[in-house]
Amino acid sequence: MTPAPAGRLVLGALRYAAMVVVAAVLLLPIWWILVSAVRPGSEIFRYASDVGWRTLVPEQLTLEHVRTMLGSDMPRAVFNSMVVSLTTVAAGTMINAAAGFAFAVFAFPFKRALFAFVLLTFMMPFEAIVIPLYTLIRTLDWTNTYAALIVPDLANGLVVFLFRQFFLGIPREIYEAARVDGASWWTIFLRLTMPLSGPTIATAALMQFIHQWDAFFWPLVAASTPELIVVQVAIARNITLEQANWGGLFASASTAILLAMIPFLLLQRYFIRTVTASPDK
Amino acid sequence: MTKIARRGLGRLGLAAGAAATLGGGAARAQTPTTLKVIWMGWPDNQVNPLMEWFEKRNPSIKLAVEKIPFNQIFQTIEVRLQARNADPDIFICDSPLTASYGARGHLMDLTPHLDASRFAKSALAASTYDGKLASAPFGSSMQVMFYNKALFKEAGVAPPPADVAQRWTWEKTVEAARKLTDAAKGQWGYAFEQSERPYQLLPLGQSLGGVALSPDGFKATGFIDSPAFVEAYTWMQRLYTDWKVSPQGQFDPNIPVEMFGNGKIAMLVAGTFSVATLQQRFPNLDFGVAPIPYFEKGKPVTPTGAWHFAINPRTRNQAQTLTFLNDFMTEELHSLWFKLRPYPPVLKSIWDSEKATFDTDMWRIVRHELDNTALPRPATPGFREYEDLVRVALRDIQTGADVKTALSGAAQRIDREMQKYR
Amino acid sequence: MVSFRVPLWIPAAFLAPALLGLLVFRLGPILIALVGGFTGTTLRGDTVYVGLRNYADLAEDPTFWSSIRVTLLFNLIVNPFQICCAMGLALLVLRPTRGVALFRAAYLLPMTVSIALTSVIWSILLEPSVGPVNGLLRALGLPPQPFFRSENQSLATLILVCTWKGAGYWMIFLLAGLLAIPRELHEAAAIDGAGSWQRFLRITLPLMRRPLAFVLVADTAINFLLFAPVYVITHGGPAGSTALLMFEAYQAAFAFLNHGRSLAISTVILAIIGVIAVLELRLFRAAHERAE
Repeated sequence: MTPAPAGRLVLGALRYAAMVVVAAVLLLPIWWILVSAVRPGSEIFRYASDVGWRTLVPEQLTLEHVRTMLGSDMPRAVFNSMVVSLTTVAAGTMINAAAGFAFAVFAFPFKRALFAFVLLTFMMPFEAIVIPLYTLIRTLDWTNTYAALIVPDLANGLVVFLFRQFFLGIPREIYEAARVDGASWWTIFLRLTMPLSGPTIATAALMQFIHQWDAFFWPLVAASTPELIVVQVAIARNITLEQANWGGLFASASTAILLAMIPFLLLQRYFIRTVTASPDK
Repeated sequence: MTKIARRGLGRLGLAAGAAATLGGGAARAQTPTTLKVIWMGWPDNQVNPLMEWFEKRNPSIKLAVEKIPFNQIFQTIEVRLQARNADPDIFICDSPLTASYGARGHLMDLTPHLDASRFAKSALAASTYDGKLASAPFGSSMQVMFYNKALFKEAGVAPPPADVAQRWTWEKTVEAARKLTDAAKGQWGYAFEQSERPYQLLPLGQSLGGVALSPDGFKATGFIDSPAFVEAYTWMQRLYTDWKVSPQGQFDPNIPVEMFGNGKIAMLVAGTFSVATLQQRFPNLDFGVAPIPYFEKGKPVTPTGAWHFAINPRTRNQAQTLTFLNDFMTEELHSLWFKLRPYPPVLKSIWDSEKATFDTDMWRIVRHELDNTALPRPATPGFREYEDLVRVALRDIQTGADVKTALSGAAQRIDREMQKYR
Repeated sequence: MVSFRVPLWIPAAFLAPALLGLLVFRLGPILIALVGGFTGTTLRGDTVYVGLRNYADLAEDPTFWSSIRVTLLFNLIVNPFQICCAMGLALLVLRPTRGVALFRAAYLLPMTVSIALTSVIWSILLEPSVGPVNGLLRALGLPPQPFFRSENQSLATLILVCTWKGAGYWMIFLLAGLLAIPRELHEAAAIDGAGSWQRFLRITLPLMRRPLAFVLVADTAINFLLFAPVYVITHGGPAGSTALLMFEAYQAAFAFLNHGRSLAISTVILAIIGVIAVLELRLFRAAHERAE
């Protein structure tokens, strides 16, 4: 029973109302971070407890914190984190998608055991493996290099799992038709599976990007020279037990948040229906 | 070249000679050596000038300085030291952790390389482990009571005097705090800066004669849960639950300073470094300083201890690390450091060379406290364990837990953790 | 089921790069960590074999058992709650009408705030005396709440904060799954007279079982491994009410310098996640077998 046009209009309006309310709840804390970045340092906590319009709208705007941030190692950190995150996305997506494809499409010996091993890799606390991992990186002589930040995180069990789950949804008939046409499995993977999986690739890319963008403890351990400083470390350095540079914290945090949105905005166009067999299209 | 620099180089010669036998620096003296240094993530402008000063003096040594954020510094150093190799050469060391690192073989014995007579007594005590100087004192610390003059005037309360001889008691402080508290305006009479940290709160029990840990450093039961501490922390709890003069559950030490700056807290006992924050961020704030209060039936006790640095005994650049040690202990560097970040100095001579700076109420109080009332935190290889468990108990006490139960529970867990060191 | 039988070298070639990376940088260190659960550290920092002592100590330790209880309770609530919220959001922004792209981006924004920063921000926002949330409650004439500072509210508050960050994140995966469902199926069912709730149960849910299985397993793993907010905001308190196992493992390693104990706890965490993941995968496979 399709609702009547008037009913559909009401439903549509309700849907937008719900979307706005949810957005407000989720975004208010972030708005507070952004506003605090352009407020004089003395004002940041002034209206925190006496909630009013001033809590959300700064009376005075200042670019002081932003300027200080631009003169600090934050730009360098943004560059490094971008290099690390984008490299991981570029190389990692391919590697993990290939493995996910194998798990979804082929029958081979020890498949279940190997899949269990993949799942195992993301169930162990990172803090438990950080010491052996650091020793390994030292043995490879990779400390204080981009390699230390990128290579250990290229293969990602969670992303392999993600690809496997979504590739399983592609019907067998599609592959059979392609095989009849004589396509190699590599061609099928690149020309058929991947193009059919826009949203999956987009989510996998985002997942890896965010994982690296948020990296904090590992970079401190494996590559903490000033040249290789990453975003989260640069943000955290604004706070010590003795002193907090709130303005610096919020300015750098705002930068990190807004920059991390760019990949999503770029990938947004892949979030559309991909499998359509509809004759009228 | 200055006189000090020449003296420094003389000693470097000796040290390099000694290291040559270890297969170290002499052969490589021509090509620059890089020392890996893990340092606290203080703002760049408080760290870089020190390192640049050193590199300029020692063109043959480069410093690769890693500035680690405070929240992660212990963990990062721990992972690096656990690997038990030559990395890092030098690392910053919170003074109460000297025994912990020392017991596990992470500290080079600095006794032959430091002239003990140059250091303040409290700094030496904090750097000593097993009878040796194991970490190099770099900066001390002290707290004072800041008060908001306008709020005192408004409430018609006479402010606490800066004179240590007329130090307020805690009893008097609470009395004033109750007059200065105005719940409707969100204004609080009194607050601790580090309201859940043993650093600031152990002195409360110590003021009543309590001893925080057994003298051998391994037993907490009967010490941290002794009547003195129970009494002190019962009093502390009443600040939050009974008199309601302090904001409850405010564990982030940076927030009370903001509230004081915004005129929402009338009295704040906080570290001397807060002065810079208050003056820069709140230029219109009119505040005074007074010494930390004490219990009427007890004696004044104040916290101290701070940042030291240490040398990794596994370093392959012993000569260069000793040059670093030597240069970082010069008066020239310490007076530069003091200007960048005014921790109470550990070198006695700085008090005289910076006389003009120290001619303020705050510094007069600090100097008196360091000479007379300061008590470093307990020396034990298990300080991390001790601090953490006491911290959790202090949090629970502040939010209303039974004082004796919380302290005894913490003491038992501490004793259990300490077993591994016996 | 797909599963093509092909010469072994084909799947091997597809798997090799990822499995090699996982073997070297994950499995190797994991094995070392598992062995480490049977070791202790001496005063001099040397590692010695202690057999099952770390596990025996855990079994006798009431704080460990209380932490298990807190961890299971936390996960029992947070995982279904987050996924329901994520599913709600995904359905809300599924149809690409005007401006929906903007809302999708908005819901994703909390995910770009790192977990460490999330902890710092919410610790300030929910601060009992100066926090804006209590300020808002006061402005509305409601009594201020202690949030993280009360034994009764701390775990619930933690769940809400995690959901604030996580809902939009998991929404993305579910959205990707929903977008793969052919619209014709819905249209056909609508013509057959199925209401929207019925269509959701009969068409959407069965076709979403694989994305849902992924989200459930991944969310479970991530939430069992969570500890940053506990470390930053509550330190396990008040009265142990937020002492998640992972926090205990972290503290054992970095505060109590007892690496053997820490690795033993980590192994327990791994085992629990493993068991739950198997159950979750079974659950979805069973549902799918019933459907076919």
